[in-house]
Amino acid sequence: MKPISAMALLFVVFLGALFIYVSEDIPDFGDPYSPANRYVNLHISIDVGADGLEDSLRAGVIPEELSSRIKARGFPSPSETEYSVEEVEGGWDVLIAKEELLYPEPEKYYFLKEEEEGNKLVVYRYSIPVRWEEKCEEEIGVPNMVTAGLADYRGYDTLGETTVIFTAGIAVILLLRRRGKL
Amino acid sequence: MNGKKGKIWEENVIIETITRLMVPFIQIYALYVMVGTEGAGGGFQGGVVFAASIVLFTVTFGISKGRKRLPESWNAALNSLGLYLYAGVGLLCIVLSLGAAQYLNYAALPLSQIMSPAHTRALMISDVVEVGIGLTVMSIFASIFFDLAWKGEGKKNKDKNKGDKEVQE
Repeated sequence: MKPISAMALLFVVFLGALFIYVSEDIPDFGDPYSPANRYVNLHISIDVGADGLEDSLRAGVIPEELSSRIKARGFPSPSETEYSVEEVEGGWDVLIAKEELLYPEPEKYYFLKEEEEGNKLVVYRYSIPVRWEEKCEEEIGVPNMVTAGLADYRGYDTLGETTVIFTAGIAVILLLRRRGKL
Repeated sequence: MNGKKGKIWEENVIIETITRLMVPFIQIYALYVMVGTEGAGGGFQGGVVFAASIVLFTVTFGISKGRKRLPESWNAALNSLGLYLYAGVGLLCIVLSLGAAQYLNYAALPLSQIMSPAHTRALMISDVVEVGIGLTVMSIFASIFFDLAWKGEGKKNKDKNKGDKEVQE
């Protein structure tokens, strides 16, 4: 066997293994709490029994320890901006007013949930579709959610797609429109 | 074909009449798909439907008549006009807000002094961005179709109307 064939075989095997791994990792279809649909585990946890934790959360204040650990992971820290905490079923919503020019409303950002095993309070982050679903019509005013996302939230993507089509057309013009030249 | 060598295209009253009848309706439907944001669709779909009407016209009446309806100069201009519209609105957002807003943040346009930011976004998306996408897609698809179908006619046959019905060697 030539070395290049062995390399190719190895590459195909690795690719197959990757596909199998990814397909095993996909959450069940329609699971409302799967990362793609609802929220993503940040793997930041704090003991429930810490003194005054529940009281401070009920009062709408996030403990310094949690916010500093969130910041250490590279996510926007609640303590730096305006935020509010709301108690909902099963946990607490953290609404952050992001420093954007024309999106001043606080948006759902973190979710604190009590884990059933181990008496820990775990931090989750809301995924993008939550905001898309809940605030699309209010922010963009287009009744069609797909069009709103296509041209506003994903405006750069659509600009790139249009550029791809434009480039394809120019390539065809360059290759086929010779008119006797060459 | 008719067995006659050299005659590859001939008039067909039924096809021509149906095409004349259908093309305006297809184009109105394409504009409806392209511009509105209430229904399904968008710029890409509307542009493709519009290009399909041009392709139908060209297939029926021959490439010279088709090119007369969408001349090459217009086609070349429209190719990039749509993209300029889209990218220009994005750049206008930066310029008119004096650098405060992001690229493609439509609500930063001064139009939002008159109406709410949400309505400004809706107006820009439905009437400028989607139309820009549709223009580019329509003219690019028509351009690709004409380039693939073109066989150098009009260069040999000086009479263009006659050249449609004669075979090209």
